[in-house]
Amino acid sequence: MSAQIVAFGLLGGLVLYSAWRVATAPLITHAALFLALTLVGVAGFFFMLQAEFLAVVQILVYVGAVMTVIIFAIMLSTPALIRSGERPTLIQQILSPRYGAIPLLVGVAVTLLLLLAYGTVSWDQVPLTFHPSSQFPGGSTAQGTTGLIGEALLTRYIVPFEVVSLLLLAAMVGAIVLAVEGSRGKEDEARD
Amino acid sequence: MTDVPVEAYLVVAVLLFGLGLFTALRRTNAIMILMGIELMLNAVNLNLVAFSRYLPAGLVDGQVFAVFVITLAAAEAAIGLGIVLMLARKRQSVDVSDFTELKG
Repeated sequence: MSAQIVAFGLLGGLVLYSAWRVATAPLITHAALFLALTLVGVAGFFFMLQAEFLAVVQILVYVGAVMTVIIFAIMLSTPALIRSGERPTLIQQILSPRYGAIPLLVGVAVTLLLLLAYGTVSWDQVPLTFHPSSQFPGGSTAQGTTGLIGEALLTRYIVPFEVVSLLLLAAMVGAIVLAVEGSRGKEDEARD
Repeated sequence: MTDVPVEAYLVVAVLLFGLGLFTALRRTNAIMILMGIELMLNAVNLNLVAFSRYLPAGLVDGQVFAVFVITLAAAEAAIGLGIVLMLARKRQSVDVSDFTELKG
């Protein structure tokens, strides 16, 4: 067993266990923290796949920014949910049809369908060219894949790149508008 | 040196996607549904990056796609959670089963 396989097993266990806890944790704050753990595990997979730039971006954007926003939203919106109280056990939750059994059935069905689809592929005919880590772009040079990604973004992918920046700008303006409207609504209610 | 085959990454990504779908379907809290969507987007990213590892030398197209997915996920989280906060302020609830005005 090589170190790669051991690392893969550990990361896979970490990612899948914490994703399971996201799905089942009774407290929403615990689910949020397990989501952060899942995202860190996926960043570890990116490191194993020699995508250092993406791994760092994953930690910066997801674990840094998105998780902060999610935790803020939890604290601002549902303070009552953070406190623990009487909650149904996992078995009771699974047995309730709409919030346990049917989602579980759909999730398992989709997973099995995708796994079966992978099972029908004859992998030896898929044109995957594997490069040993030492020959992989960035594996031997100091710049890593960051330079290659930057080059691709500003040459072949320049149009999608600009469209995404426009979308990000629109999302930012939209979020500000939502926040301003929300606080104005509160003032109106106070005046009434 | 034996490396982990691409199929192993695909299987982990499928299981992660299934768990994200399960989360999004079974939770009624709007924030939890968004967290399930984030899990599914991460599963997709894992697939893209795993296949990108097998491209000819010098190509990183899969990783570029993953960059776009991460950007879209960040925008979606900002807007989605903004809407959730506004709902919480106006209706004192973030439970999606409380918002059924459009139900036919």
